[in-house]
Amino acid sequence: MISFLDMGGYAAYVWPAYAVTFAVIALNIVWAVRLLKRSRKEALHRLAIGGSSK
Amino acid sequence: MAWTWFHRLASPPHVYRVAGRLTPWLAWPAGALIVAGLIGGLVLAPPDYQQGEGYRILYVHAPSAWMSLMVYTTMAVAAAIGLIWRMKVAHAVAASCAPIGASFTFAALVTGSLWGAPMWGTYWQWDPRLTSELILFFLYLGYMGLRSAFDDVQRADRASAVLAIVGVVNVPIIHYSVIWWNSLHQAPSVMTLGKPTMPLPMLVPLLMMLLGFTLLFGALLLVRLRGEVLSRERTATWIREALQS
Repeated sequence: MISFLDMGGYAAYVWPAYAVTFAVIALNIVWAVRLLKRSRKEALHRLAIGGSSK
Repeated sequence: MAWTWFHRLASPPHVYRVAGRLTPWLAWPAGALIVAGLIGGLVLAPPDYQQGEGYRILYVHAPSAWMSLMVYTTMAVAAAIGLIWRMKVAHAVAASCAPIGASFTFAALVTGSLWGAPMWGTYWQWDPRLTSELILFFLYLGYMGLRSAFDDVQRADRASAVLAIVGVVNVPIIHYSVIWWNSLHQAPSVMTLGKPTMPLPMLVPLLMMLLGFTLLFGALLLVRLRGEVLSRERTATWIREALQS
């Protein structure tokens, strides 16, 4: 296990590279879900305003 | 008629519905492939005879770099369709691509730099491949900056589409930079016309990662696209039906 984590002496390069990539993946998922939720909320809000003026 | 699929693709309610239904079919295989590729790349693949374990950065670097180019090409094609056929949904696709592409270009640059440090002895070099990839990153940022400079979505769509289309010349430059110029960066070993120059136990996890990232892009794009489509519709009654069901 320790030799796996050591990555043949390249641990200081390999693990940060994986960390950055998976952070980018995680952020992309969060951003996309947030964008959809916000758009839904805003659309419902617009509908509420449009509906009450009719 | 033969063109009805194209018109249906242009219809926001149809796109919203189909994108929602399609997302899990891309997201779950993407997750499975990335986990399998991760195990294959970090554990099962043998060490490289020159770079030892250090080469394993490949399994995140190459998919990120692939994403940076593939997402840009998708964005430019969507922008062109939007400009030529005045198709709102196509512009929404292009706008959805940019943050995804920018973030993976960032990942490609950082992972490349972390790979370069031990193998080339430097984090950065003004090398053709590295410089053209950095320009790609700035193209994405410029595209997003230009969009946010307009209050009117349609004007933002048209102006940013021109930038996306002009910038696409950079994509072949990046791909062929290692062949055209003397570069520190190695030549492609998978996306070549002949056979990949890599043994199978190394190649299979890489292909899984490439496919996994591509499907992940599809899933992210569909989720973002639904948001974009919703925010572009002002009065449509389909929104009521879509959101209240």
